[in-house]
Amino acid sequence: MTAMTDHPVTDRPSLELLKEVEQTLYREARLLDTEQFETWVEMLAEDIHYYMPSVENRYRSDPTDTSKDPSRMAFYNDDIAMIRTRVARLRTGTAWSEDPPTRYTHLITNIEVELTDRPDEYRVYSNFYSYRNRNERDEDVLVGRREDLWRRDPEGRLVLAKRVITPTWSVLPGKNLNVFL
Amino acid sequence: MAEDYSRYIDLDEGWVDRSIFHDEDIYQAELRQIFARSWNFVAHESQLPRVGDFLTTYMGEDSVIVTRHRDNTIRVFANSCPHRGNRVCFADVGNTRRFTCNYHGWSFNTAGALLGMHAEYAYDEKDLDRDQTRLQPVAKVDSYKGLVFATFDPDTPSLQDWLGDYRWYLDMLLDNEEGGTEFVGGCIRSEINANWKFGVENFIGDAYHVGWTHDSGTRAVTGGQPFPPADMTNSYHASVNGHGWEFGLDGFGDIMVLGSQSILDYYTGMKPRMSERLGQLRSQIFGSIASGSIFPNISFLPAVHTFRTWLPKGPHKFELRTWVIVNKAMPDEIKEECAKRVMLTFSPGGLFEMDDGENWSNCTTTNKGVVTRRQPLHYRAGLTRQIHDHPELPGTIYRGQYNDANQRLFFQRWADLMNAESVTELPDRRGATPAAARI
Repeated sequence: MTAMTDHPVTDRPSLELLKEVEQTLYREARLLDTEQFETWVEMLAEDIHYYMPSVENRYRSDPTDTSKDPSRMAFYNDDIAMIRTRVARLRTGTAWSEDPPTRYTHLITNIEVELTDRPDEYRVYSNFYSYRNRNERDEDVLVGRREDLWRRDPEGRLVLAKRVITPTWSVLPGKNLNVFL
Repeated sequence: MAEDYSRYIDLDEGWVDRSIFHDEDIYQAELRQIFARSWNFVAHESQLPRVGDFLTTYMGEDSVIVTRHRDNTIRVFANSCPHRGNRVCFADVGNTRRFTCNYHGWSFNTAGALLGMHAEYAYDEKDLDRDQTRLQPVAKVDSYKGLVFATFDPDTPSLQDWLGDYRWYLDMLLDNEEGGTEFVGGCIRSEINANWKFGVENFIGDAYHVGWTHDSGTRAVTGGQPFPPADMTNSYHASVNGHGWEFGLDGFGDIMVLGSQSILDYYTGMKPRMSERLGQLRSQIFGSIASGSIFPNISFLPAVHTFRTWLPKGPHKFELRTWVIVNKAMPDEIKEECAKRVMLTFSPGGLFEMDDGENWSNCTTTNKGVVTRRQPLHYRAGLTRQIHDHPELPGTIYRGQYNDANQRLFFQRWADLMNAESVTELPDRRGATPAAARI
């Protein structure tokens, strides 16, 4: 399997496409920050793989690459049904650790768009800085990189078909992971 | 005079003093009296299949390296150079022939013995005793059906005695099918601002919190149904030497929590074999709503396939390390499905686990209040529900899954260790051994 990062750049994306992708990522972040999860789910492809592997500290001499082996433990290793189940939990009214609500801000930066072999799919890199704060002064900062595949659906919308989230931490610095990244 | 830690626990009336979740001096005593003398879980054998494989973990707050040495035995020693004390290994896992300190290049083999160092001419012959200068080994390493334990204290009773008849229960987790168990690759780690005992006592017996804390997760996986009421007749708490297991007898409740048809089909197909292997009763216990903890800081949900340790990081913080434990005999696609479903339910982002951390965190931090701290905590559920006549269940048995019995008996063992001058003098907390459960 060729790693996504080694894929040749076949052509440059248009400024129009760059702007469209950028605005799509910002919109996605706003929907998550304002808890519009159902609208966010509409931005996902039915065959999405939403994946955030666990992180191991290994020596440079160790050739093991565990970051793209979905049989291993992962913070997220979801299909669309699993994501919908997570959203369903948030809407039960008894998700106690979200009441009062957690405040989130996703900052999305370092956006790059690459064309792929398929005219309707784009590879998109971005970084996130996600700050969350709840109750008096319970706060976490989650930072990492994302590698996405966005697809243009028959109606012309961009939908997220694949996301690999690479966290910068190895021990999650917080009591839970209650946020989509 | 030594402190009497029994005064923090009122076993007969069911009260626990909040200081044990807050006080720095008590925490330091726990590191000396409990973690430096207990059998600590350090690895599953499947994590170290080849010679030279290693991982790093903690026994209490002591950083240790666990290796498979060239004689194929598992070795455990301190991750600290005898020269200036620096860590000698910074990787979580890997394979190596030596551990070399970054500071002066002192190098040690996979048994912890000194191999050499940078600029050896710095030392004259009498300066350095090469046999004595090594990474400090633990006193004993032993394993039970794949789980590797280590202790720093040579006087600690054998692992077999330490676990005792709890092995009758553990076999449901570790030996319910030919071939035993293995860990799925990887480890999920998170850091929670809570006292380590809140994790242990939750898993050792707190079935009670599930229907309330985890209502949202339950409704999410059941399409809106709440958690079913407990059957208080056909469910139990069992405690042996401070280890505990709470369980029902329905055989499938926890398997349903995973919400996977293929895993359900797998167990439906193999339950008759499990029954032949472990007997009818244990094949009914396995799969029910259940949880367990091995004293002092190891926990699991048997049929949910999550296995974890609560590593203490001060009185108000622990690091949670979780793994997925599966049967070796499972087809690969079932193992993968188990891993995915554990991640969906019992990882920091899991539908169920998500709501635990905040509770434990606030159970800990409220005790900063000096007046708040004076109020003892209520552990009185099921005070009078002990039974003595169960024909098969070993240990101290209480009827009814919603119960604080295992928690009380965990704190009793905690006080035993905290008070004991020597681990050879621990009181007998084995409970009963019915003939049917003899191992």
